[in-house]
Order: sequence, then structure tokens, then C-alpha cells
Amino acid sequence: MVKFKNVVKAYGNLVAVKNLDLEIPEGELVVLIGPSGCGKTTTLKMVNRLIEPTSGSIFIRDRNVMDLNPVALRREIGYVIQQIGLFPNMTIEQNIDVVPRLLGWPAEKRKRRVYELLEMVGMEPDIYAPRYPNELSGGQQQRIGVLRALAAEPPLILMDEPFGALDPIARESLQDELKSLHSRLNKTTIFVTHDMDEALKLADRVVVMNQGEVVQVATPETLLRKPANDFVASFIGKNRLNGESLQSVVEIMLPDPVTVYPQMGLAEGLALMKRKKVDTVLVVDGERKLVGSVAVETLDRERKRAKTIGEIMDQDPPLATIRSQASAKEAFDLIVGEKLKYLPVVDEKGVLVGLVTRNSMVDALASAVWGDEGE
Amino acid sequence: MLWLLQSGVMRVSEFISFIYSNLDTAAVATYQHLYLSFGSVLLGMLVAIPLGIWLTDKEKLAEKVLAVTGTIQTVPGLAFLGLFLPLLGLGVVPSMTVLFLYSLLPILTNTYTGIKGVSPALVEAGMGMGMSPRQLLFMVKLPLAFPVIIAGIRIASVYIVSWATLAAFVGGGGLGDPILTGIMTADINFILMGAIPAALLALTAGWILGIVERLAIPRGLRG
Repeated sequence: MVKFKNVVKAYGNLVAVKNLDLEIPEGELVVLIGPSGCGKTTTLKMVNRLIEPTSGSIFIRDRNVMDLNPVALRREIGYVIQQIGLFPNMTIEQNIDVVPRLLGWPAEKRKRRVYELLEMVGMEPDIYAPRYPNELSGGQQQRIGVLRALAAEPPLILMDEPFGALDPIARESLQDELKSLHSRLNKTTIFVTHDMDEALKLADRVVVMNQGEVVQVATPETLLRKPANDFVASFIGKNRLNGESLQSVVEIMLPDPVTVYPQMGLAEGLALMKRKKVDTVLVVDGERKLVGSVAVETLDRERKRAKTIGEIMDQDPPLATIRSQASAKEAFDLIVGEKLKYLPVVDEKGVLVGLVTRNSMVDALASAVWGDEGE
Repeated sequence: MLWLLQSGVMRVSEFISFIYSNLDTAAVATYQHLYLSFGSVLLGMLVAIPLGIWLTDKEKLAEKVLAVTGTIQTVPGLAFLGLFLPLLGLGVVPSMTVLFLYSLLPILTNTYTGIKGVSPALVEAGMGMGMSPRQLLFMVKLPLAFPVIIAGIRIASVYIVSWATLAAFVGGGGLGDPILTGIMTADINFILMGAIPAALLALTAGWILGIVERLAIPRGLRG
């Protein structure tokens, strides 16, 4: 689809892109990533000739872009810029149908397309089409920015750090949306970012660049497992959380949590908790299936009334648990998102295999960031 | 004190009856004045707006042109008229030429800075989507620069209306005529007959163009 052949861009003595060779197959979402000044944005902008290469050639479907009229070329390529870049003097509808208007589509076809696109991302067209950009949130605005690039159904889309200016929540949801749009529409997409998480999340293939050169081209999986050199490794981050060192919840859980049986007497339970210095214990049955939990306050309060732990343990609401096949990240998300103090890990039969607590989570994070050498 | 008030009332009523008996003269002078000032501003717009647009991608030249129009602004109006006297003679032509030159600076500066002030991100978005330079100008740059350009026209109009009184010195007519007559005959009535409508015209022009300026702000940019 897109082919770079020995492409060079120099500004005087400064070489921004050095002898770039790269081929992007039809339908692929390629992410260009690297530190600032690595040439990723220059590379992107040479595709639609916002920047002209010093030497070498770029082909789109075997046509050399330098042989094409730049205005006509750009109308065939969707473009999403870093700042949101919606025209404030135009309504959402007018913003989305800029390229169709430039291409001279009839009014009715344009309107149908705008409505179709807005519906595709769940924005009610009758409400949003007549609005102005300043009446929308940043996330909604960039959603329109993406739709605007899709409007004339271009076979190729260029995105220049499109979500960089958004807050983390909006960014996350737009990434999800882009991924789902891409899997539905299969448009060849070149996406520039400096955020490795974003690259790993979105890319079919990641192109890591440094100082104007391509350092590695690989799928996210390969990039994580076999970084080409120290630069890539350090750019990925040593022990990335969703990388292989911390993939499973099993690796971050405490394997042997303090447990009690329902038949156990209260005094015995209390003594155990004091000895182990915990404020809550999990209750398991004879097959070590998780049946409930009990907190030290409950034990203390009910000491006179009840005899066994089975009589006073919390079964309702059922404990939040996580399956042992889950990823470490899912456990983090659950604990942080649901504000849990702890999260028991169970296997498919409901047998307790471990426990993730806020402490074990912090330990795992710390060793991921600083390595294990401190222990 | 009372005497002063009485004489004030006397003067006002005397002035009103004076205007009433010279209504024709006043009307002709006002008409000429409108013609002179708005004709000059219109000419200024026809030259300065396209020039300002053209200069936006010629920064070096733009600096020079803006310096020249800035210098024109500093030449006293009366001196300018005298300068043009041997070239253009007397009458409407030299008057409008001078007023036209004065109207250039604010309109040119505002057109230039208004278009330059359009966010580079929007320009890049427009270009990246395949707008031709012309489409970029009419779809993006001009609509966004419009309020600034109108502001320039308003500033030019307000002071061209008051400076147009100078035209009387070279026989250009307008509300300067009665003022000049008043000065030469030491008749306050004549002076007021020129000065009051001139002031009212300037105020009205400023007011109307102020409204236009607000309406010119694209809806998506209004607070």
C-alpha cells in the first residue's frame, strides 16, 4: 500500500530522516514511535507531501507521490492532526464533510455520510451535527477529527499523535474506538505517537525510530519479547507491566494467604490473626474452596454470641475474586477500580490459590519499575 | 450664573434657527462629507484587504510595506494636502487621495495580522485535507480573520470621518466648509454646523461597524 524507498529528508546539515525503507501492507495499522526529533512526524508528513523528501521516493499503491498533484493526493488520504484542528467556524457536520465538499459530492450524499459516521461512534446525529466544536468536550472533538478523516472513505489514513492532548480517560476510550473502527473498516493507517502503551495497544506492527533511522519493525509481541537492541529495550521500559515479566496474576499474588475453616472456634481464629498480623482472613472448606471471609472486628464483636467462624463469616455479598488465568493488569484494574482491599485468586473449581492485596500489588509494581535487585 | 444659563439657552435656540435657515447648506455639506470619507475608506478596503492577504506569505516584504503605511500615518494631514496640491490640484481628487492613504494602515495591518493570527494547526489541517491555497483562504483563514479585518475598517472609518473636514482647505467640500467659513468670519454658528454633524457621523459609523464586527464573529467562536 505504502512503500518508502531510500527516503531522505535533510534540513541543511540536519538529517531528519536517513535512508528510510519501509513497506506497509494494505489494511495494516502501523505505529511510528520514537523520542521527539526521531523523524517519525517527518516520515508521516512526507506521505501526503506536507513535507517533501530531499531524495528517495514514496509510493502509494505503486504511484510515486511526487508525480501526483499534492492537493488531489491529500484528498485521497485521511489526516488527523495533533491538536484537534476542527474548524471553529464550521458546525460538526461542516467539519466532517470538508473533504466530500472539496471532492464535490452532492449535498444529499454528504449528509447521509455525516449521519452514518456519527451513528458509527454513537453520537446522535440530530444532536451533534448542527453543533459547533466549542460545544463539545476534547474527547468528542477528536472523535469528530477521526470521523472527518474517514469521511471520504480514503484507503489510507495518517494520524499525527492524535490523542496526545487528551486526558487519560478520553485517550483510552478513543484508542479503543480507533481499534474497533480499524478492525471493522480495515483502512491502512499510519499512526505517530511517543507513547509506548498506545503503540502496543493499537499497532499491528510497531516501527521504532531513533535519530532519523528505523531501529526495529516488529509486532508488539515480538517487540516486547525480543527488542532489537538496548535502545528499544529501554524505550519499552525494562519490566513493562503488560509485558511478559508480569503477565499473570499468579506472579503478583501472595501464594499462601491466611485461611480458616468454618468449623474453627472464634478464639482460635482471633489468635491466628494476631499471630499472622492480618485483619481479615479467608474462609475455605475442606476442599479449600473459598466460601467467605471474616474481619477481625466481626470476630471481636461476636465473640460472646457465636462459637464457630462459620456462623459469622461474610458470604453476602459474595467476595470479588479473580481467576488464576487472568492477567496482572486485570487484577490491578479491579483493585484500583473497585477500591478493594484485597482480591482472592481462585482456579476454575473455586479453589483458593492465592491473594492479591494492595501491598502485594505495590511490591509487584516496585519490582517492575526498579527491578528485583533491591530485595 | 443665571445669566450664563440664560445666554446658553439663547445660544442654543439661536443655533437651531440658524441651522433651520441654512438647512440646504448643511445637507449638502453632510452629503459631500459622507461621500468623501466613505469613498476613501471603500477605496482603502479595495486596496488594503487584497494587499494584506497577498502579503501574508511574504513576511519580509510585509514588514516593509507595513513600515511605509505606518510612516504615511505620521505625516500631518494638512502637510499632505499641501504636498499633493501641485500634483493633483484642488478639489475632491486630492482630498480623497489623502484620506485613502490614511485609511490604508489600519485596514492593511488588521487584514495581515488577522490572517497571520489563524492557528497554524488549522492551516495544517486544511492543507492536509486537500484544500487548495484559495480554498484554505476562503473556507478557513478569511472567516476566522473577519472580525479583526472589520475592526480595522471601523478604526479607519471613525477617524477618516473626522479628518475629512480637512478637505475644505483644498476645496474638497464636506463639513469642513462651514467650519472654515466659521473660523474666517468668527461665527460660532458655522463652526458648530460643521463640527456637530461630523462628530455625530463618526460616532454613528463607529457604532454601526461595531455591531457588524460582533456579527462577523463566527458562531462557533462566540462566547
